[in-house]
Amino acid sequence: MSYKIAVATSDYINVDETFGQAKRFIIYEADGKNFKKLEERDVEDDFVAECKTSETGCGTGGGCGSETGCGTGGGCGSGTGCSGGSGCGGNGEVSFKISSLFDCRAIVCKKIGVSAQKQFEKKAISYFDVSCTVEEALDKITFYYDRIDNHMSLRYKTD
Amino acid sequence: MAKLLDKQRYKCALGAMQTVQAIDRAIPILHSGPGCAQKLSDSIGSSGYFSPNIFPCTSINEKDVVFGGVKKLDTTIENALKVIDADLFVVLTGCIPEIVGDDTGEVVSRYQEDGKPVVYASTAGFKGNNYKGHEQVIDAIIDQFLEKSEEKEKGLVNIWADVPYQDLFWLGNIKELEKLIAEIGLTPNTIFGYKNGIDNIRKIPKAEFNLLVSPWVSLTNVKKMERKLGIPYLHYPTLPIGAYETSKFLRTVGEFAGVDKDKVEEVINEHENYYYYLIERYADLFLETRVMAKQFSVVADAQYALGITKFLVNDLGLFPAKQFVVDDTPKQYRDKIKEEFENLNYGIKAEVSFETDGYKIHNEIREHDYHGYPLILGSYYEKEVTGELDGHYLNISWPVQDKVVLDDFYVGYTGGIRLIEDIYSVAVQRFN
Repeated sequence: MSYKIAVATSDYINVDETFGQAKRFIIYEADGKNFKKLEERDVEDDFVAECKTSETGCGTGGGCGSETGCGTGGGCGSGTGCSGGSGCGGNGEVSFKISSLFDCRAIVCKKIGVSAQKQFEKKAISYFDVSCTVEEALDKITFYYDRIDNHMSLRYKTD
Repeated sequence: MAKLLDKQRYKCALGAMQTVQAIDRAIPILHSGPGCAQKLSDSIGSSGYFSPNIFPCTSINEKDVVFGGVKKLDTTIENALKVIDADLFVVLTGCIPEIVGDDTGEVVSRYQEDGKPVVYASTAGFKGNNYKGHEQVIDAIIDQFLEKSEEKEKGLVNIWADVPYQDLFWLGNIKELEKLIAEIGLTPNTIFGYKNGIDNIRKIPKAEFNLLVSPWVSLTNVKKMERKLGIPYLHYPTLPIGAYETSKFLRTVGEFAGVDKDKVEEVINEHENYYYYLIERYADLFLETRVMAKQFSVVADAQYALGITKFLVNDLGLFPAKQFVVDDTPKQYRDKIKEEFENLNYGIKAEVSFETDGYKIHNEIREHDYHGYPLILGSYYEKEVTGELDGHYLNISWPVQDKVVLDDFYVGYTGGIRLIEDIYSVAVQRFN
């Protein structure tokens, strides 16, 4: 059965963006050990984008205007406005950036904050914070899912 | 069909972290998931320098399964060396990194090249239980830490006994063995326990011989030391409990080490005199047949099952029912251990079963006719079944729930007296 993997990359070659930095994700569709590019998905939250352009826009939250932005843990201030707990992007609601990736099985990016991690964990979505090429990451992840989906051992020698 | 194991009496090989914790100022570094570490760390443990619940762990997760965990291991070791003031770091691998193929040996060897005191033992759970893990840790120290020594120290003897913390009485036992060996004029050297640490490990190659007091655990270790370090070994398979076995033990060791016979006999005499003085004073109690059960069963690892069976038959004159060895003894050792069970005084032979399944053991105990109430010496799991049978029960093997042992011991002359005290304290409670 096919599934989707979202990758944060600026140059299509390396996994070089943090979750917070990424304005769009490349969505790959994988089936067994094969994968192909499906689409580029724009995920930037309108609300956050607004925050970035206006200094005063984002409630009392301290962090939301910064470059690191949503989901990196450090960037997203607590309190009202740009709220913690449910992540960046308003009171209680899961941010658009996170919810727009809910159809994926795994997220691949350079780094990812604790808040975003928790929200993906709740949806049983895996995240992989790695620094390598997109191809290497996808090779390893599809190999892994292929093995566990087929109830096969992950023993490295068996391949 | 997969085999189920009811009431398991050991842990996985990663449980060897307790072996490391028994060495003064040594600390385990676990390369495993956080669950392994949390399940295995016990509230007892440690040699008194590090808390038993605090140790570095790579806490690997899904990402490390997919991409490999060596980077995390590398930073964990690097930072452990920075912040922990230990004499020896022992990296232990769990199942996950071994399955996905992390090259732990390679990471650790880089630190060894820098002269850091780091060794690595492969303790994946699928390789065996914590008895095997214990052997792996000692193997790692021999292979990666010790060099052959041309210089030998006269009379120095390395003593190896059973697995620390798995054996409730390990500390007291090892101290008592040291004391006995010292009394016949030899110099004992052990690496586990109070004030026994890195200096004792460094002294290992200088010993004249290794003394192994265990039916099978660590036999591979002393064989390895014979090959690599040129140290001969004396394997004494029975844990000496009580006068009969301890005297035999001292004579065997004395003969092997070339100690003057008169000196050994003098030590034996002195101990035996006091031992039998104590027994004699309570002879009425021991001869009162209503007090003690007629037959007994021991449910324990090979060392206690054998040691206690010999003691109860040879010293106390009780009769053995079936004995159960529950440590999953490797098959190649079983025949030898069985022979020991059949070599009791008065031509008595004890039947022994190498069984790890508590359900089957309990059924056999229930079905056996003990000619009255049974005496069962075993783990906490045996408490209920002994209760059903209205028998005498003493907790002597892991898991231990109803007993606190700081440095009590059952080995030697004094140990035999302690065991008599414990058994008869249980027995007299029935009538008082």
